[in-house]
Amino acid sequence: MIPTLAGRLQTRLLLFLFIGIPITLLYAWALLDFHWGWREIQIFVWFLCTITGLGLLLDPVYIFIQTTRWDRDWPFAYQFFFSWVEFGIVFFIARAGLIPYLPEFAFQGMRGLGIASLHFALVFIPSFLALLGPLQTIFIRWRFKGGQLGKM
Amino acid sequence: MIQFPVRFRVRQIGIDGNTMGPSRILLCEEPGRFLIGKSEEADVPLTGDAVSRRHLSLLLDTHDVRVRDESSTNGTYVNGTRVDEVVLAVGDQISIPGWLLELLAPADSPATVTRIAGVAVDESLVSRLIMTDDDTPPPPRRTFPDAEFDGKEMVSIEALRASGHPVEETRFCAVGGGLGSFVWVDHLRCYGVPASDIRAIGTEEVCYQTYKRYCKNSQIPDHERLRSNSLSRPDNIWGFPGYAMREVGKGIGVKGIFQVFGEPTLAESYTPRAGDVFESLDIEAKRIGWSEMFIKAQVLGLRKTSDGRYAVAFKLWGGEASGMARNRYLIADVVHLSTGYPATRFVEDFQTFITNHPDNRAQVANAYEPHDQIYVEAERRGGPVQVVVRGRGIVASRIIQRLHEARKKNPGIRILHSMRSPLGPRDGAIFRKARRLVRNNVEIQPFNWPKSCWGGDLRVEYERAGEEDRGIMLGQLGGTTTAERSDWIAIMDRGAEEGWYRAVYGNISAFQPIPSPGPDQPDGVQISIDTVEGNVERLNADYLIDCTGLIADIRRAPLLADLLDTYHLPRNHAWRMQDGRAVRGAPSGLRASNDFEIEGLRNGNGRVYAAGTITTGGPYLAVDSFLGLQYSALRSVDHLVTERHHKVRDLGPLRSFGGWCRWMVGARP
Repeated sequence: MIPTLAGRLQTRLLLFLFIGIPITLLYAWALLDFHWGWREIQIFVWFLCTITGLGLLLDPVYIFIQTTRWDRDWPFAYQFFFSWVEFGIVFFIARAGLIPYLPEFAFQGMRGLGIASLHFALVFIPSFLALLGPLQTIFIRWRFKGGQLGKM
Repeated sequence: MIQFPVRFRVRQIGIDGNTMGPSRILLCEEPGRFLIGKSEEADVPLTGDAVSRRHLSLLLDTHDVRVRDESSTNGTYVNGTRVDEVVLAVGDQISIPGWLLELLAPADSPATVTRIAGVAVDESLVSRLIMTDDDTPPPPRRTFPDAEFDGKEMVSIEALRASGHPVEETRFCAVGGGLGSFVWVDHLRCYGVPASDIRAIGTEEVCYQTYKRYCKNSQIPDHERLRSNSLSRPDNIWGFPGYAMREVGKGIGVKGIFQVFGEPTLAESYTPRAGDVFESLDIEAKRIGWSEMFIKAQVLGLRKTSDGRYAVAFKLWGGEASGMARNRYLIADVVHLSTGYPATRFVEDFQTFITNHPDNRAQVANAYEPHDQIYVEAERRGGPVQVVVRGRGIVASRIIQRLHEARKKNPGIRILHSMRSPLGPRDGAIFRKARRLVRNNVEIQPFNWPKSCWGGDLRVEYERAGEEDRGIMLGQLGGTTTAERSDWIAIMDRGAEEGWYRAVYGNISAFQPIPSPGPDQPDGVQISIDTVEGNVERLNADYLIDCTGLIADIRRAPLLADLLDTYHLPRNHAWRMQDGRAVRGAPSGLRASNDFEIEGLRNGNGRVYAAGTITTGGPYLAVDSFLGLQYSALRSVDHLVTERHHKVRDLGPLRSFGGWCRWMVGARP
């Protein structure tokens, strides 16, 4: 669906900045009953940064797999699936306390899983929908540049 | 060199599409121009309600034989394609309502006139067009625009005005008037160019008319699906929302959305219905004011002007103007050429067969020419009917589907599917690490190129490659493929099981007519196949439908041939690997820059761009697709923006989104 490496990286960063961060701030703020507590909010921000960072590391792998396919492309469904895999990896590593800047207590129990999953779903769904076409209404050359921004 | 006499076989066609009455031979003994029509002054008078008074002209000189439509009401077709003017090859069929004219091969000696193509012809039926009274044959060249254009690379506006022909001016002119022109004009309009600054010239009022005709001939009616992507919308430069979503909006169903989500691996690739594409084009044409910009006319020539623009010579079709008043000039700053397939040419052996056995023309058809009568006859005949389908592309798949439908009326129809060689699961084309899927001996690919040729890494790589590498990539990634459709697979599987579908492998070495076994029985065709095992297999069939495609030769379009000769424009070439070296093959499309500019036609600030099949082998692989037309339009209009000569404003994120909102509510751009 995004068939070049540069396109994947750029699109991922774009969605992170313009969809991920604002939604994360809003979500965390709402969870704190609209009280601005940066100590808590920053956990959400760092969590999202970590998922995005892992995604950026995995993008070359996805691109490599794509090149082994004749169309050098893969279904939207795969991207959907792998995004949740990325979330899962970061969540369970954080729960095990292996990420120093993410306090492990925030990810414990059903409550921890629920808060994190809802957070990711709120960020992921609009980002994914944007890929299905709406991005093209703003960046008309995006689809011909394999997901890269800017001029042809 | 053309050998005289030039011979045409003339046959009358009944309402049922079959020939009626004896064949007549039209014999043109000298070069000249012969008018055909209902008018009394016509050199060859033909009757019929749908024949125009001046329908078409045959133009014969020592170099070529051409047919030119004389702005007839119902059009002139060559091998199923509506034409303005084309160069004919032996075996080509010119059809006008009720009549079929076919260019025959030169006779061995003038004495064999009564035995033409091996068939005895009543000499009284032979019309001779002999121009003996006048020593000077009528001028084979046209007076318009040749008086002003011929032999000149540059013309002055003053000279054009002095010619007495009306001269109009515009900023942007799209030549062709088909889908390629429409998509380019749509981009200009969405970038903010007013309709009053644009003219599009073509012979069909509806931009998809030619495309629709090809669909209809190759058995894709409006409710069938095309081979195109949901987001490839020629009526929407942003490609969103796609056709799949449009179907949801229209209450057709949500299945398309799930297909788009899972395609091509987890679901069959979504493709839009032909009728939906046409309908949405109608809506966009209305929105951008296509009818205000459109001129129904035939473009006869193009020249650079001395003030850095272009003169487009055209002849109005229909309308109130008549005679010389129809010949006009349009001066434009920027010209876009998108003339599509210049009349079609068949593959060699098919051409030879129809040349040598014109009486058996009804038994063989190319899938792109009108051939509905084959299905109608096969359905009506009852009893066994054998049809050979040749080729393994997507058209063959669709033809087999149509024959399968015909089997409901006549279960005696059997399909013999002729393919050059069997293809095993591991025989698909290879490009680096990837291999193309093969199913039922046919290579499978959702679209006519691998998907990343449109907007992925292959697009970038191909664009950056040199001429030779481009040619090699084109060879590796191209080829005949079909789409993976469960209904098609099921038809072949069931047919093979029940014995009415059989694949036959080998090269077709000959096809011969089989004389009719009885008075009411039609003729057949015998097809000899050199099988892979080295045997010769003879198939006695009732019909042969050739699905191996068409050959697009841009030199057959006089407008392009004239440009190639006048400006010595370079062309792209096919390439093939031979003994590890790349060898240059036949010429293909017009050479264009990565921005689709024909650089050989640059004139000061004036620019000429091209799109579609005439740019084959150029900077993009999928030029002949909806998305490819959008890509080339985007590139050329962006190029105009970058160059700043023609005051086209950039379509940045904000203006783009604003334009899209206008599209969504149906507001004029």
